[in-house]
Amino acid sequence: MIQEPVVPSLLQMEGFSLEHRSVFGPVSILTDVNFSLGYGEVLGVIGESGAGKSTIGNAILGLLAPQFVRVSGTIRLEGAPIDDRTLERDIRGHRIAAIFQDHTASLDPLMPVGKQIRETVLALDPALTVSEAKEVSLQLMTRVGISDAARRYADYPHQFSGGQRQRLVIAIALAGSPDVIIADEPTSALDATVQKQILALLRSLVDESGLSVILVTHDMGVVAEITDRVLVMRKGEVVEQGRTAAILDRPQHVYTQSLLAAVPRLRQTMAARKVRSTSPQWSDGRSETPILSVRNLSRSFATTGPKYWPWGETAVTEKPFALRDVSFDLLRGSVTGIVGESGSGKTTIGRIMAGLEFASQGCVAIDGREFDVTRPGRRSGILGLVQMIFQDPSLSLNPHMTIERILRESIRYGAGDVERPSDCAAMMERLGLPRSLLSRHPHQLSGGQKQRVSIARALLARPRIVVADEPTSALDVSVQAEIVALLKEAIAETDMTMVFISHDLALVQDLCDQIHIFKAGRIEDAGSPHYIFSQSTHPYTRELIAARSSWFTR
Amino acid sequence: MKAIVLRILLQRPGLDRTAGLFRLRLRAGGSQIVLAAFVLVAILAPLISPQNPYDPLQVLGWDASSPPGTVGSGGYAYILGTDGLGRDILSTIFYGLRISLVVSIVSSLAAAMIGLAAGVTAAYFGRWIDAVIMRLVDLQLSLPTILVALIAIVTLGPGVDRIILALIIVQWAVYARMVRGVALSETRKSYMDAAQLLRMPTLRILLRHLLPNSIAPALTLLPIEIGHAIALEATLSFLGLGVPLDKPSLGSAVANGFQYLMTGQYWISLFPGLALLCLVASINFVGDDLRRRLDPRSAAR
Amino acid sequence: MYWATIASGRLAQAALLLLAMSLIAFIGIHSIGNPVFNVVNIETATAEDIRQATTALGLDQPVWKQYFLFLSNIVRGEFGTSYIYHQPAVDLVLGKLPATLELAVFAMLVAAPVGVGLGLLAGRNEGSAFDRVVLRFCVLVASVPSFWLSMMLILGLAVLAGWLPSGGRGDSMLAFGQEWSVLTGDGLRHIILPALALALPNIALICRLARAGTIEVQGQEFTRFCRAKGLSARRILMRHTLPNISIPIVTIIALQFGGMLAFAVVVETIFAWPGVGKLLIDSIQLLDRPVVMATLTFVAVAFVTLNALVDLLYAILDPRVRLS
Repeated sequence: MIQEPVVPSLLQMEGFSLEHRSVFGPVSILTDVNFSLGYGEVLGVIGESGAGKSTIGNAILGLLAPQFVRVSGTIRLEGAPIDDRTLERDIRGHRIAAIFQDHTASLDPLMPVGKQIRETVLALDPALTVSEAKEVSLQLMTRVGISDAARRYADYPHQFSGGQRQRLVIAIALAGSPDVIIADEPTSALDATVQKQILALLRSLVDESGLSVILVTHDMGVVAEITDRVLVMRKGEVVEQGRTAAILDRPQHVYTQSLLAAVPRLRQTMAARKVRSTSPQWSDGRSETPILSVRNLSRSFATTGPKYWPWGETAVTEKPFALRDVSFDLLRGSVTGIVGESGSGKTTIGRIMAGLEFASQGCVAIDGREFDVTRPGRRSGILGLVQMIFQDPSLSLNPHMTIERILRESIRYGAGDVERPSDCAAMMERLGLPRSLLSRHPHQLSGGQKQRVSIARALLARPRIVVADEPTSALDVSVQAEIVALLKEAIAETDMTMVFISHDLALVQDLCDQIHIFKAGRIEDAGSPHYIFSQSTHPYTRELIAARSSWFTR
Repeated sequence: MKAIVLRILLQRPGLDRTAGLFRLRLRAGGSQIVLAAFVLVAILAPLISPQNPYDPLQVLGWDASSPPGTVGSGGYAYILGTDGLGRDILSTIFYGLRISLVVSIVSSLAAAMIGLAAGVTAAYFGRWIDAVIMRLVDLQLSLPTILVALIAIVTLGPGVDRIILALIIVQWAVYARMVRGVALSETRKSYMDAAQLLRMPTLRILLRHLLPNSIAPALTLLPIEIGHAIALEATLSFLGLGVPLDKPSLGSAVANGFQYLMTGQYWISLFPGLALLCLVASINFVGDDLRRRLDPRSAAR
Repeated sequence: MYWATIASGRLAQAALLLLAMSLIAFIGIHSIGNPVFNVVNIETATAEDIRQATTALGLDQPVWKQYFLFLSNIVRGEFGTSYIYHQPAVDLVLGKLPATLELAVFAMLVAAPVGVGLGLLAGRNEGSAFDRVVLRFCVLVASVPSFWLSMMLILGLAVLAGWLPSGGRGDSMLAFGQEWSVLTGDGLRHIILPALALALPNIALICRLARAGTIEVQGQEFTRFCRAKGLSARRILMRHTLPNISIPIVTIIALQFGGMLAFAVVVETIFAWPGVGKLLIDSIQLLDRPVVMATLTFVAVAFVTLNALVDLLYAILDPRVRLS
């Protein structure tokens, strides 16, 4: 561990251990955590799910459920230990404020945002009058970058975009001019470009007002972007801490090294490469008939409001994605990346190709046979020709079936005409899953294992086209890398055609022969990875590339 | 010193774990024992009752309205007294339990099955099928159960089988609404999409994938609805629309005593009512406990 | 646009509800027996009397024709005359309305604040001794059939203790052209027991709902954020938790209130309270079809009005409904 120069510390955690006690006995959550936070410093706390990184923030704020019991250690603010009494009266909001991950859930949906800021201002400084507090609130809104604050003061949270809501949350955190802000995954729910803006805002607040920030995150990119120092957590223990630059450059601990290695890196310049034995057809100049073509596909915005009868239950308002006149081809044996931020229509296009959703206009042709995708998949006949790998493995396996039954079902009903080994056990072996898992139920498997089963199910149906819809975004970084490697292998072995949908440019860079960049339902930019990363001058493509932390762009 | 030893003992994970589980089991223990006793009594009623209240030959008219503890002309004591016709209250309770339990359990099980089928069907097919089923459910749920039961009984006529039918009509909508909600959220999960992509027969998707994942709420609702059904049957009997008078359920036994209440002959309706209360309460407590255990969200708390 | 949709929807709902109820009731009454035998004196009536009465009541027509006649009369605002009381059915229902209304309002004024208050406190201190007691109380009260609860109230407070009268409306006073019991001391004494019998199950119901809602809302991220931003527990409870649990509570209050208006059958019967519910059950037993139909129409209208009121409240309570 690297020794630090002694800085006067603002917040300290000393020998802190925490247990979760339930009827099933105590479980250790944090073990002997030591760190200190300096003035005007941004401290990153990084780790995978279950590392106990969020618990640190909650422990400092005293927001833990009563089942969490402190076993040892103290938390000091400027040398004075924090206890429950001072927390409630003097510390929360006044000295230490918080920003949580879910900006939608952090704000009371039934109260205008201005009032939510104002009540915080008033609670923290009861001497103010209501109109003074409103004045302060408006200043805070302006400070975090809400334009036209006076007009938006009375608006409700749902009338703001995700990025704006997170700005409002930051405004509330700033209301008591705190010394420390604990930011728990503040940007994880946001798109890359918005994430960049929010991080910039946080950094500017630190630089301007000498605020300190504890930033809890799972994303190395965020750590590289704004933190001064970083704490690497694993299973409730600090495995390494030190200056961010030093840790990123020369990680000492094996775990840190593996975390860093797993982060997909973006290469600015790309050499022409050959990843597969059967190289895609366009590279030798011959144009061949595509295996799947999408022609002029459009999907209108879903209308909100009553579904059937005027007085029915409020209909589930579909997310307003739309596709506008999208056309592209998939070449036999190629891997096509579809990249876009949330709401770009990338998932919708994948589901339409698979026949799970229908379009308002356009058609999809597979092997020259046209399907009317404006009708439900079962009727248009397209259903079953394309298999999918879904985003969240915990939702994609029927919890009431054993793994073996799930896979057998896929063999039995799968429709494909290509000969493939269709034995469950062989497939399990190929995907690196122990055979003993066959008799288990999904909830007994880890996230990565579940996703492998999900891949096995898709492959066992012997499809010629597979759509992978963000197959790694619900997984920890280290597992993500394994899944991507697995997919690469699976594609290389066969002449399967694949569509890889992702929000992360770095992920598709190494995997794909062709990349389509979607924005608001349109294809903004398309081409080979070489073109996209080295040559394209399209502003949106450049913005997406720039949104990645420069640390992981080589 | 003792405290420290105790604390260390309690900190040992194994011991704490067993103790915790033991506590979990014990929590509903009381109501479970009471409920089991009720069921046992209902099953054994003909063997343990002092008299058969349905048999006119065993009922002695001149013992009518005896207070609790009176030794009747039959030679045995009326522990809880007799009603206006001379029927032993204790025996009436034992026999009444049988009718109350059979009517409520049969009707609730049938309603659960119908509701399950309707809810899953509505959620899976959506569109007009969903609209028709859910409008029916809405219509029924917007009316108080007592009215629906009243209309049903009035239309169907008297009799135990008709009561069961009326209770099914009253209850199925609750299950349908609940199951549909859960099934709807299940259909949005991607394992359902995966099943679609394999082009399985619709029936298989419904039975193998959707149904098993939507059944839990119906199961947790079951005990509560059985409790409701018992109370509702009693109410109908009280209003004179329930089971025939010569075969009293708990409800009609209570109703029989209403006219005697003002004259201070409280036992005729007090004891059957207490039995009814204990039965429904124990079912509700057991049901609540079951729900707490099955619902992972509340278990985490 | 929002209001137009809601209004048209509610009207359609009223029509459908009425249609369904009238159809069921019509068939129901038709299948039980011939109302004519309750109209004529069975001992003395000759076959000719019965035939005349049948014709006079229109009962000689096929049932579907009777039904259409009934529907067309409703459209003209006619519900016909009671077979038994020989009064217009509408007047009968309206005459019973004040008794029902005052009972329901009185009961709900007790039930709603007590239920919400208990639920909030119990939910906030989830798992505490207070919470456990409240929860036990709720389950216990919900387990008592209301007729037995009413009888026990009479037994305890009227027969044994002798504090309160066991039934009837007591003295009443004329106001707005109707008789009201709550305006006199004796009337108030009479209303306490039936109101309590109606309120207790509702306290349990509202309390459980409020408790569950409180626990859910207190577990949500914004509550945690409110604590983190330095608000007091009291303010969080009153300003954030309460509004967020209000929608289901308002719904259940409206629904239960509607139920009290129309179908407090059991309580009204036991306490001999001359309300709409008692009128309905008496009329069903006497096969007095015009009165049954008029009562059911009133019920449908009341329910739809309450539902519309709830819609309005939703829009006031939840900006997401209002602004979407």
